[in-house]
Amino acid sequence: MKVKDFNMIKVIKKGLETSVQDYPGRIGTLNQGFPPSGPMDSWSFRLANVLVENDPGAPALECQFMGPSIKFENDMVIAITGADMDPKIDDEPIPLWESIEVKKDQILEMSFATIGARSYIAFSGGIDSELWLGSRSTFHKAGVGGIDGKAIQDGQHIPINKSKSKIGRKIKKDSIPEFSKNKKWVIDVVKGPNDDWIDDNGHKMFLNSEWKLQSKSDRTGYRLDGPNWTFTEKATNKGLEHGAEPSNIIDQGYPIGAINIAGQTPIILVNDGPSMGGFIVPYTVPSAAFWKLGQAKPGDILTFREVSLEKAQEMRLEQTLICSEKSIISSSFVEKQNIKKQNIKIDKIKIIDFDKERKKEKIREKIIEKKGMKSIKVRFFN
Amino acid sequence: MSIEVKTTVPGNIWKVLVQEGDDVKKDDILFIMEVMKTEVNHQSPIDGKIIKVNIHNDQEAVEPGTVAIIID
Repeated sequence: MKVKDFNMIKVIKKGLETSVQDYPGRIGTLNQGFPPSGPMDSWSFRLANVLVENDPGAPALECQFMGPSIKFENDMVIAITGADMDPKIDDEPIPLWESIEVKKDQILEMSFATIGARSYIAFSGGIDSELWLGSRSTFHKAGVGGIDGKAIQDGQHIPINKSKSKIGRKIKKDSIPEFSKNKKWVIDVVKGPNDDWIDDNGHKMFLNSEWKLQSKSDRTGYRLDGPNWTFTEKATNKGLEHGAEPSNIIDQGYPIGAINIAGQTPIILVNDGPSMGGFIVPYTVPSAAFWKLGQAKPGDILTFREVSLEKAQEMRLEQTLICSEKSIISSSFVEKQNIKKQNIKIDKIKIIDFDKERKKEKIREKIIEKKGMKSIKVRFFN
Repeated sequence: MSIEVKTTVPGNIWKVLVQEGDDVKKDDILFIMEVMKTEVNHQSPIDGKIIKVNIHNDQEAVEPGTVAIIID
């Protein structure tokens, strides 16, 4: 029997919670109680894979709030996207959103997230972990998927499939998701399925209020602090089987992204969320807006903007198109840029000039290209 | 020489385990933060004396990189 040959990485420090995820995750198993899992910011995740010439959904690492330290046991190509955790290779800062070559015995170190909350590390070839119900995503609440069903641990060796990728591949600026720098996020929501349990004032309150993300939030649910909800008669005058609280309903299936009202606390059920329960769901966050949740930190302020189901699907399609080779700055373009840079030799010449009355001096700076003087740029200084 | 101990995650301060004036040893736990329903220990990088505590129990939404404790 031929033994499969892998590249290897070794976990030196695991970070806060770093796990193997793939996209779209564990699909078609919600009826058995298994959520999709997968990366919370699938936009950044897929672009990391595209950079190292993997399938956009290939298994890679999701690092939450504080990144890991990793030693490479073979030469390979990696890319880091998403939150900025100040990544360094052997103490040298490395850029995000670019494919980078790493050598055997080099060490990648990451710190805490300054902008955003989740970083993604993709390795050319992808992580080789076992498939579980059709996905390699970690669902640690049930101890399945990923590496041994858990977040990665100190000292662990993780196998990487052997593959080659070009280095210096970059993402077009327009294709990079724009993270909030002021701790405020506008999250798209679709109405329903239980929107008729909330009265008009309740809907206005929800869409016009600021909601603070609690620290007691994780990949299962995002708990929000904000004003109180008001309900329609459907919620307040109902059969006993629904339960006593206005927000109680007879157990139902929850959509991924459900905004679940537990008493008065909205909880957004995210990638590792429960499949069913007995609270109403007046709004649902569509998958295309999940990347914003994935990059929001505890204490950040969320506001909600209603979009139609059609618009949400359009946004999802748009993101899928962005997460492809189309977003790579083509290498021929990069080469052209380099050639141009080499050819231009600029002389700066300061010349003194006079205005019409020859009273005031004007100093001009002329930049002249030496070869053939095809373009002359003149800057005026007053 | 005094050393600043900074928070490494965004979240709540769950428990502060030291007071100003306490002597601590390297790797003693100084305070515990809570984020993503996970407790994150913050340990002392050196042997020394606590000269300043800038955080308190149940303090909410603390940014990463905040100077929490100063040790001399």
